[in-house]
Order: sequence, then C-alpha cells, then structure tokens
Amino acid sequence: MAEIRPVAIDAFRYRIPRDEALGMRTDVVVYASAALMHHIRKDQSLAQAMNVATLPGIVGSSLAMPDIHQGYGFPIGGVAALDTEHGVVSPGGVGFDINCGVRLVRSTLTEDQVRPRIKELVDQIFRDVPCGTGREGRVEIKPAQLEDVLRQGARWMVANGYGDERDAAFAEAGGALDSARPAKVSERAKERGGPQLGTLGSGNHFLEVQYVEEVHDAAAARAMRIETGQVVVLIHSGSRGLGHQVCTDYVALMNQVMPRYGISLPDRQLACAPARSQEGEAYLGAMAAAANFAWANRQAILHFLRGAFRRVFGAAARLELIYDVCHNIAKRETYTVDGRKREVLVHRKGATRAFPPGHREIPADYRSIGQPVFVPGSMGTASWVLVGQQGALDETFGSVCHGAGRLMSRTAVRKGKDARHEQRKLEEQGIFVRSESRDGILEELPEAYKDVDEVIEVVHCAGLARKVARLRPMGVIKG
Amino acid sequence: MTFELLEHPADIGFRARGRTLAELFGNCGHALVSIILDSSAIEPVQRVPLAAAGGDYESLLVNWLNEVLYAVDGRRMALGAFDISRLEETRIECLAWGEPRDPVRHPGRVVVKAVTYHQLKVARTAEGWLAEVYLDI
Repeated sequence: MAEIRPVAIDAFRYRIPRDEALGMRTDVVVYASAALMHHIRKDQSLAQAMNVATLPGIVGSSLAMPDIHQGYGFPIGGVAALDTEHGVVSPGGVGFDINCGVRLVRSTLTEDQVRPRIKELVDQIFRDVPCGTGREGRVEIKPAQLEDVLRQGARWMVANGYGDERDAAFAEAGGALDSARPAKVSERAKERGGPQLGTLGSGNHFLEVQYVEEVHDAAAARAMRIETGQVVVLIHSGSRGLGHQVCTDYVALMNQVMPRYGISLPDRQLACAPARSQEGEAYLGAMAAAANFAWANRQAILHFLRGAFRRVFGAAARLELIYDVCHNIAKRETYTVDGRKREVLVHRKGATRAFPPGHREIPADYRSIGQPVFVPGSMGTASWVLVGQQGALDETFGSVCHGAGRLMSRTAVRKGKDARHEQRKLEEQGIFVRSESRDGILEELPEAYKDVDEVIEVVHCAGLARKVARLRPMGVIKG
Repeated sequence: MTFELLEHPADIGFRARGRTLAELFGNCGHALVSIILDSSAIEPVQRVPLAAAGGDYESLLVNWLNEVLYAVDGRRMALGAFDISRLEETRIECLAWGEPRDPVRHPGRVVVKAVTYHQLKVARTAEGWLAEVYLDI
C-alpha cells in the first residue's frame, strides 16, 4: 500500500479520503493532535481504519480516537457504525475481550488516610481479588446459574449478595443487555470462562487505588461526589475466557459463511456477516451474554474489593460505584445522519460511549452533567474522569477514547529492564505495585504508553467529552 | 528454543519453523503453550485428542492453535508434546500429551485471549516450513 497521508481538517481532526480502488466505502476521520499523529503513523492502525471503511453498510466515516493503535482487523480506538438493516456485524469490531471496561468506585477515605497503609491495602486486595492467571475465581456457580449470569449480568450478582441495588443501576445499560441469548454461547466458552468469574485477568487489566489530584469541573465532580484528595478505585477487566471464546467461535463461523453472503474483505480478522442474518443475530445474542458476564465479573471484583477495604480500614470504610462503562462492544443506537434518523450498530473497539447531558440512557444523578467516562492512563501516570458532550453525539456516534494507547510493544519495553528495579522506581514516586508476574509490571510501564494528558486534550478540545478530574495512582494490582 | 517472539504494539507474536509441515504445527503448539506458562516441567501422562479443519493452511493453523488454546485455558491442561497423525491442507488430527495445569510446576506467564489472522503467514522455505502467528493477550 502507498504511504498513507492523513489531511489535517483542524488542530484535532484528520481525514483520510475514501479510496475506491482499495474498496473503501467511506473516508476515515482520526481525532488527533499533530504530536499524536506522529506516533499513530508509525504502526498499521491507519491502514486498519481504512480496512474498516470497506465493511458493507458502514454509515458515516470510519472513526479513530486519539489513543488509536494497531489491533487485529479493527484498530484499537476504532469506531464504526453499521446499518442495522443492510450492514454487517463484525466480531473483530468488538474484540476478543467482549465488554472489556472500567468502573470507578469512590471511597469514604482520603489520600492522607490511605497512603500510610497503602502496602497493606494493596497486599490485601491482591489476596482477595484473584488475577486468574494461576488461581481460579472465588465465585462458585452451578451451570444453571451461569445461564442466569449470562442473562442478568451485574443484576444477578447483586441479587445473589455480591453488591447492592445501586451498583447495577450505575452501570452502562444497567449492567445487563436484555438482548442476551445464552444458548448462542458455546459450551466451550462457558467451560473456559465460567470458573474465571470474579477474576481480573492479565495483560493490561488492573485494579488501581487512586486519589483525585485535581478537579476541572466542580459541578460534574459534585454530581459524582468526588473531591480533591479523595481516594477512588479504578477496576479494568472484561469477560475473561468466556468472551474470548465467543469471539473466537464467531470469527471462525463468519470466515466460513462470508463467501455465501458475497462478502470479501482485505483482512480475515474483520470477518463479518449481515447483522440480520442467522449468524449475525446469533453473534449479537452471544456477544450480549458475554457482555453481561463482564458486568457480573466487574461486580464480583467490586464485592471482593469492599471486603479488602473493610479488613484494612474497618466497617466505616465504604465504597460506592460511580459508574461502569464498556469499551469493547457493539450496540444498537439511533443517530441523525445527513438529516435523517438511522438505527445503527455502533462497534466500539477500544472506545467508550460518551452521551451528552440530557440523554435518557444516563442515570438521573448524572443526566444534567453528561455520561461519566473513565480513561485509564498507564500505571505510573494518571487516569481521567470525563463527561460526554454534544460533539460526540454529532460526530462520533456517541464515542470517545478509552485509554492512553500503546506506544511500544511488550517485548520492546521489557528489554534491558529489571522488574524489581522498576518496581522500586515506581515506589519512589509513591506508587506501590503488586503483580502476578514480573513481566506484567515491565510490559505495562509508563513509557510503553502515549501521554494520556495529550489524548484527553484532543477529545476535550474537539468537544467530544469534557475534563472533570485527574486521578493519580497510589497502588496497582496487575494480573 | 523452537520459536522466536515477534513484536506487536499491543500484543505478541511468534515465528516457528519445521522441517516438515507436521513439525511446524507441533512447534507452533509448543510456542503457544510456552507463552502461556512455564512448559519446562510438563509430564506427558495424559492424552488430549486435538483435531481441526480449515479452508487452507493459514486457517487450519489458526483453528488448530485455537484448539490448543482451549485445551490449555479452558480444560486447564499443560501440553508438552504433539503427535500429529494426519495433516492435510484442510484437516489436522493430533494426540497431545500433558497433564493438568499445576500453578507451582507450570507457573502462568500470560493469559492468551486468542490466536488471530493478523499478518498470519505459513510459507515454504529452503529448509522446510515457517509460520508467523500473532496472539491477542
């Protein structure tokens, strides 16, 4: 392929025009600053965003968020809206970790109270929240109950003693998609993922004890009941082996049936089927069930986290869920496109929903400020709390970035480094890390990621989401 | 070492070789298991039949490695040997040997989510066969 030359639209937007010779049905719009674009052009993410533009039934542009980096088929940080009647659904557009997402929890404690006991707290959390690389989960469920988890998501966990009513209400979609069809999830997926319920996972999954470093929007922070110096916890996990297997099963199935639907694509990892086909509908039912499993998983982790806080700080230390957002999902939503209402299947692959103030899907407590969005940075830097803005609804199918975006490969960042030394360096900065594996620490070092502040600046200035608060890590638990 | 690691911005890949196609598939199986866990002490005491089909060598390799992944991550088996009894362009049959995963003897390294088609390569070389495979982790 010839060199890709994105054209600057303004200081925060670039366009790659449609190239019919490559089979593109639309153009690509990338949200980035000049500095971020310099990094983005180094990997294959732009070519992947162009491949997404070839999907049958794509509506609007193939979109890329400022944290975009190379993924499989879809770039990570990619958004694509596909017509629900005439378009396709692509499991790769959701990813192997269906409903990977983050939930932010506020505590009744301050940084001053937690910092002197951070090692003790992190060790306790490390004991109470299994990572799942060697150990299995602590939620014991029978096969029939797994069906209920797949149908009811976080609501099942709450009904069975793993949280309170408020927890499910403060998750995207109320912590469960009603479109789930557990019968479309293979026995393999159930066998692989079932025992992992209530585990964090490895890779970039983590649990961070943080404090609110600075508040940028006082009204929004008040609505979320957070203030400077307050301790919060960010949980980043997904649907574990159950979601991975669902994606694997349906990528294989769709690769088989694509020729029957006359679909030919530049990358097999984009495998898709018409959304209205038997295979497309089966995938969407299975994906929703896996998404529910992920919400149940994050709910179980919150439950175990509460136990760890109580053991260290006593019963008065309370944890309340602020909100829970997913960043790997496909959802039916309605948008005005070129002056008319269209129902589309929004594929968010490493992108977060970001609805603006007034949207009916936002819990009443937050409706006046916009949907809370949480963007984790790397473990040595910062994470951000944002709220969705009208620009996201107008331009990006209600979507915004999901992280800092990787800069270096896992092997490159490990080279010449010693885990214990790096751990001590982080401790000198006031960040205490526990990981199931040494490689886990090295692979997720801050230098492996782009500057999260720069990513946030782009979405803030482009009017997709607004800054609310910057969070600094104190304790990190990694798989 | 029968494989080498390849870089990917977010994940990881490996390059494996074999004098024959069967040896290549076996070495790819070893590579996948060794990325997931410490495979140095696996005892071949239990057998696990693994079969897969595909439209060509590439999809056959992805589908077969996903079978290996399911055995390791789903059935919690540590697999140390792969006896491939039949290998055609669209079908593979194999008896894998190993034992149930033991976190002490086979410490976990990384959770592999899936085997992907990203930049997948199965090619003939002067010495035999070569494959490049990327994993989502």
